[in-house]
Amino acid sequence: MAESPAFESPVSTPYVSYGGVPIEPSGPGSPLTLQDHSSTTKFIVRAGSETNAFRQLSTPFATSRTEDGVLIAGQRPDEWFLVGREQAVRALAGRLDRTGHVSLIDGTHGRAMFRLTGAGSALVLEKLCGLDWNDHMTPDGAAVSGSVAKVTCDIVRNDLDGVPSYLISCDRSFGQYLFDVILDAGQEFGIQPL
Amino acid sequence: MLIVPCPNCGPRNAADLRYVGESRPRPDPNSASAKEWRAYLYERANPAGMLRETWYCRSGCRRYFVLERDTVSNEFTNPPTPVAKLGKRP
Repeated sequence: MAESPAFESPVSTPYVSYGGVPIEPSGPGSPLTLQDHSSTTKFIVRAGSETNAFRQLSTPFATSRTEDGVLIAGQRPDEWFLVGREQAVRALAGRLDRTGHVSLIDGTHGRAMFRLTGAGSALVLEKLCGLDWNDHMTPDGAAVSGSVAKVTCDIVRNDLDGVPSYLISCDRSFGQYLFDVILDAGQEFGIQPL
Repeated sequence: MLIVPCPNCGPRNAADLRYVGESRPRPDPNSASAKEWRAYLYERANPAGMLRETWYCRSGCRRYFVLERDTVSNEFTNPPTPVAKLGKRP
């Protein structure tokens, strides 16, 4: 696979909410933050259940785990999302047995990704999405797909030091809209972009 | 709001899925008559009662599945069956 060209984020600055409200970036100590992680390397793996790659990934649907610094999320019964540093993701992808019905796509440039972090992050998602964000339904490590503000998104709960945090990814063309909408929905909870 | 039980994702808002239509066996293209094809493509039973139908989970697992719905009460009776397990396309 060829080296990726220079990355250009789908999210522009300065930050303005969907409702047109300018929002100043904050520091990492803010209680509720939204960070653009679109530049993070993202690979999409599809592998049939009879393949060796399926067994190598060994992450069931709707769950996630971390291996060698790479987050492996089972977004669909035969599809995984690999997220992490470029070298680590490429190394893990390179170890996969490509025999059989296995496909590997570099989604770094085609997918936008944001990290919503803070105690109130589930409340923000509840405003935008019909899924159940209660701890017993979507605990740390849960990987789900659904409609967020009418955009189909893959969401992984990936808590940071015990603080609820969600990685939200969508098609790149929806990135700016989704970022602005999340900022808009989070205003009542004091959300700030990082 | 109609809540549809997806076999992979669990209960989901129908807006997250696509209604494919009544689930019926596809005629054999090598032996079906024009009348059979017309009936398969255009004729619908549309009953007031139990209907076997196909749904597509477009926002979640992206799988087709078949279930039975009471078109009067919108209740789903039997657990959904993934189309892959039926061995035929919707």
